[in-house]
Amino acid sequence: MSGVSSAAYFARRAAQKEKVRILYRRALKDTLNWAVHRHIFYRDASDLREKFNANQDVEDVDRIDKLIAHGEAEYDKWRHPDPYIVPWAPGGSKFCRNPTPPAGIEIVYNYGQEDNP
Amino acid sequence: MALRNALLRHLRVPVQNLAVRGSNQSQIGFLGSMRAFSSHDDHLSKQDVVDRVLDVVKSFPKVDPAKVTPEVHFQKDLGLDSLDTVEIVMAIEEEFKLEIPDKEADKIDSCSLAIEYVFNHPMSS
Repeated sequence: MSGVSSAAYFARRAAQKEKVRILYRRALKDTLNWAVHRHIFYRDASDLREKFNANQDVEDVDRIDKLIAHGEAEYDKWRHPDPYIVPWAPGGSKFCRNPTPPAGIEIVYNYGQEDNP
Repeated sequence: MALRNALLRHLRVPVQNLAVRGSNQSQIGFLGSMRAFSSHDDHLSKQDVVDRVLDVVKSFPKVDPAKVTPEVHFQKDLGLDSLDTVEIVMAIEEEFKLEIPDKEADKIDSCSLAIEYVFNHPMSS
């Protein structure tokens, strides 16, 4: 019984840790979107890191859930309207531009002039 | 600089190298030059990827550059935090102009995984 509950506990903690990592990653990218100049970005990134580090020793699972929800709400509030996305990625400017033509299509270079090459 | 070296390598041992390099290059132009005429043909060589990833990891302020090898694990060997791992993965994304989805980025835990991911990604540059 306790084995089952501790496995569930660890699974829940692991899921929370993954959520925290993904939240930190998105928040860092967002910070880079807002603060384009590197020196400002470094300052804001270290502030963000301090905020995350301040809560890193919390053990109570429910409190961690509340903190994560609070963090995600903050992230939603601060999302950049025009984030930088790598051009070939979905949402970027080159996405789906020049897709590979379907197989079997070929370009005939001397159309109309096959008789006199 | 890399082009010059590659050209010198070609001119020295032309026959042997062409057979090996033919698999990498999709077209070998005149004089066996290595220049590729399309931006999608020149994928990074493994050594390039390894060098650049190690440079990124070494320039991270919390990392001791002497300990960095291509098989190092960020949390076990270098003593970094999980948030530090996230930062390193972001730095690698910026270095190679990649966009790694969140689930994939979460799994990158060591230098070897990072190098493998970047090398196998078709759009790394």
